[in-house]
Amino acid sequence: MRPRLLRLAAVTVSIVTAAACGRSVNPPSSPAIKLTSAQDGRAYVEVTGLSPAALDSVARASLTPEQWSALFRVAVDDTAPGMLGDYSVAGGALRFTPAFPLDPGRSYRVRFDAARLPGASAPAVSIVATVGQPARDATPSTVVTRVYPTANVVPENLLRMYVEFSEPMGRPSGIEHMKLLDESGRAIPGAFLPLDYQFWSPDHTRFTAFCDPGRVKGGILPNQQMGRALRAGRSVTLVIGHEWRDQYGRPLKEDFRRVLRVGPAADQPLDTATWRVQPPAAGGRDGLIVTFPRPLDHALLMRALGVRRDEAAVEGDAIIDQAETRWTFTPKQPWRAGAYQLLALDTLEDVAGNQIGRAFEVDNFDTVDKSPNPKSILIPFRVASPTTE
Amino acid sequence: MRVLRAKLGLLLAFIILASLSPSSAVPVVATGQGPALASIGPLTFGPDGTLFAADNQGAAIFALDLGAQVNGGVAGAKALDALDEKLAALLGTGAREVSVTDLAVHPRTRNAYVSVMRGQGAGAAPALFRIDGAGQIANVSLQTVKFQKVELPNAPVANAAARQNPRTQVVTDMAFADGRLWVAGLSNEEFASKLRAIPYPFATVDRGVSVEIYHGNHKAVETRSPVNAFVPYTINNQQHLIAGYTCTPLVKFPIADLKAGDKVRGTTIAEFGAGNRVLDMIVYKKGGQEFLLTANNSRGVMKIPTASFASAKPITTPVESETAGVPFEKVASMMGVEQLDKLDDTTAIVISRSASGGINLQTVPLP
Repeated sequence: MRPRLLRLAAVTVSIVTAAACGRSVNPPSSPAIKLTSAQDGRAYVEVTGLSPAALDSVARASLTPEQWSALFRVAVDDTAPGMLGDYSVAGGALRFTPAFPLDPGRSYRVRFDAARLPGASAPAVSIVATVGQPARDATPSTVVTRVYPTANVVPENLLRMYVEFSEPMGRPSGIEHMKLLDESGRAIPGAFLPLDYQFWSPDHTRFTAFCDPGRVKGGILPNQQMGRALRAGRSVTLVIGHEWRDQYGRPLKEDFRRVLRVGPAADQPLDTATWRVQPPAAGGRDGLIVTFPRPLDHALLMRALGVRRDEAAVEGDAIIDQAETRWTFTPKQPWRAGAYQLLALDTLEDVAGNQIGRAFEVDNFDTVDKSPNPKSILIPFRVASPTTE
Repeated sequence: MRVLRAKLGLLLAFIILASLSPSSAVPVVATGQGPALASIGPLTFGPDGTLFAADNQGAAIFALDLGAQVNGGVAGAKALDALDEKLAALLGTGAREVSVTDLAVHPRTRNAYVSVMRGQGAGAAPALFRIDGAGQIANVSLQTVKFQKVELPNAPVANAAARQNPRTQVVTDMAFADGRLWVAGLSNEEFASKLRAIPYPFATVDRGVSVEIYHGNHKAVETRSPVNAFVPYTINNQQHLIAGYTCTPLVKFPIADLKAGDKVRGTTIAEFGAGNRVLDMIVYKKGGQEFLLTANNSRGVMKIPTASFASAKPITTPVESETAGVPFEKVASMMGVEQLDKLDDTTAIVISRSASGGINLQTVPLP
C-alpha cells in the first residue's frame, strides 16, 4: 500500500500532513484533516470535505465517545487511544476539540475512517495525518535573578532561602538542583531539607528552600552526627544548577553561583526595642524608615509589618533593602501630624527563624503558643508637623 | 543549655484548627456544579463517597459529589503498568508531563481514583481519573460534579499591600474522621505545620489549639516541624490521629482532646529515623492483628503492629539510636512506593516508581 499525499493544510501555526489509504473513495468529496487555531488560542482538529449528507448522518446518529473515536481519532501516536476532548459537527466539518491545549512541538496522529460513517458502505477511504503546532523556542533564557538573604554574610543557623527567577518555572520541587559547596568545592551533604513539596509562589517565580533544621539546631542527633552545614568563619558557595527546568521545560540559561561568608549563629529572639524608627514629617509622603540590627526574613517582612493610626491600617507600600535590614513604608496619603503605631506580627522572623520574643531554639514547653493567631506588637511613633520641629 | 536540651528533648508543635464559636468562623466560599480547580491532590474519600480534593494552587478544599460517575465500572481496581504513559495518552501529552498527585479508593465500588496534573509549568491543569477492576481508565468529568468549596485562610497580614503576597500553602495530607475533614499543611514561608479540622458539610474553618510532641531523635525543644501524613485510628474506643512527621517520629493524638484554646500534647510512640519522611499510611487487619503500613521516601515501606499503640511507652527522653519505640519491620518486597491505599481487606493498591522513572499502579497483598 503506497500512501498518497492528499493535502497539506497549514493553518497559520499548524502543520498538517495527511495520507489516504484504501482501495476506493466512497464519500462524495475528498475528506481532509485540518488543524485550526482559534483566536482564543485553542486549537481543534477537523475533518473537512465531507458531504452535507454525511455530516447530517453523523449529527443525527448521537455517536458514543467510542464510536466517535473509531470514526475520528486524535492521539499521541498510532497505537494510543484517542485523547480526551469533545466531538461535534460544526462549520461544515467534523470537529475534535481537545480537552487540554496541544503541546507545542508535539506531533499528534489523526485518523479518519470513512467506513465508520453512519450508513457508509465499505470499503471506504480512511486517512491519517500528523498535526501539530510549532515548537517553542528551546533556547534557554530563564535565569536566577536573586536569592534571599541578600547579605554577603549569613548566620551558620540560616533556616531558609528564597530563590527568584526571571520567568515562571516548572512545577516540581527544585531542591535537587541546589547545592552548597564547601571551601574545597565539595557539596555539603544534607544541607537542605529534602522535602519534595512544591514550595512555589503562585506565579512559580519564587522557590523556598529550607535548610535542614535537624542540622541547624544544636544538640540534635543529625547535628551531632554531621554538624551544621554552615560553619562560622568559613565560606560556602551556593550553586543552583542550570538543569532546573522552567515552565516550558527549558533549562536555565546558566548556573547560578554565589559565595556566602558564614557568621556566628543568630540565636536570640527579635527585640523590637533594638529597632530604629525614623518618623517622617507631616504633610508629605516621605518614607517611614525602620532599621533592624540584623537581616530579617524578606518574605515575612513584606507582610508582618504595617502602620496604624487611630486603630486603622494606613495604606501604603513597603520597600525592603540594605540586605533586609531596612524597611521603608510610603503611605498612599500624606502623613498627618500626631500619633501612629508600627504594627509587627510576632510571626516575623530573622533569617534563622527567630521570632519576636522567641528564639528558634526555644527550650521550654511553656513557650509554645496556645493560639495560632499571631500576636501584634505595637510600637508608637509620632509624626511631627514641620512647623513644630 | 545542652543539659537542659537533653532533659527537655525536642518539642514539635503544630496547630489544630478545631471548631470554635461562629464569630471566628470563615464562611463557605462556594457551592455549585462544575468546580474550577486550579490544581488537584491530595485526595481522600468520606464514608458516604464524597471525594475531598485539595487544591493547593487555589488554597482551597473541594468536597465533590461524583454522582453517577462512580457507577458503571467493574468493582475493584486492576494493576496497570506504565500508568503515566496511559494517562499521558488520554491527556494528549508525554509521560514526563504527567504528575500523579494522589490515589484514593472509593469506599463502595473499590475503584481507584487518581488525581493528576497535566503539564509542569504554572499553567498545568488538573484531571481526575477512575480505574476499575477491568483496568479501564475513565476520565471523571468535573463539569457535572456538584461541589462544596472552602478556602483555606491565609496568614494574617499587617500590611494591606501584602495581600498579593507570594505565600502559598501546601496540603500534605487529608483524612476524614469524627465528622470532620482533617487537613495537614505547610507554608512556603513560615517553617510551621498546621492541621485544620473542617466540619463536613463545610460550614466553618476556625482557629484552634497547639499540639506538642516530643521528638526523641532531635533532643532539643522545637515548636515547628512538618506533618507529612496521618490516619484516623481508634485506640481503646477513643478516636485518635496517628501522624508521621519529618525525620520521622510517629505520634498519636486523641481527637477528643483537640479542643480550641487548649494545649494538647501528642504522644510520640516511635522514631523511624532521620533523613526520612512518611509519604502515605494505611491501617489494616491481618490474621487477627492490626497493622499500620507506611510508605517512606528514603526508608521504604514499614509494617507496624498497632497492638502496642495504646500501651506504648511514650518517648520523652533523647533517642541516641536511629530508631526507637514501637517495633516495625521493613517490607522489602514493596519498592518505590509513593502513594498507598487499602484496596480491600487483603490487598493494598500503590503508585510506585520504577527504576527507570516510570509510574506503575500495582495491587499488592497486604503484608
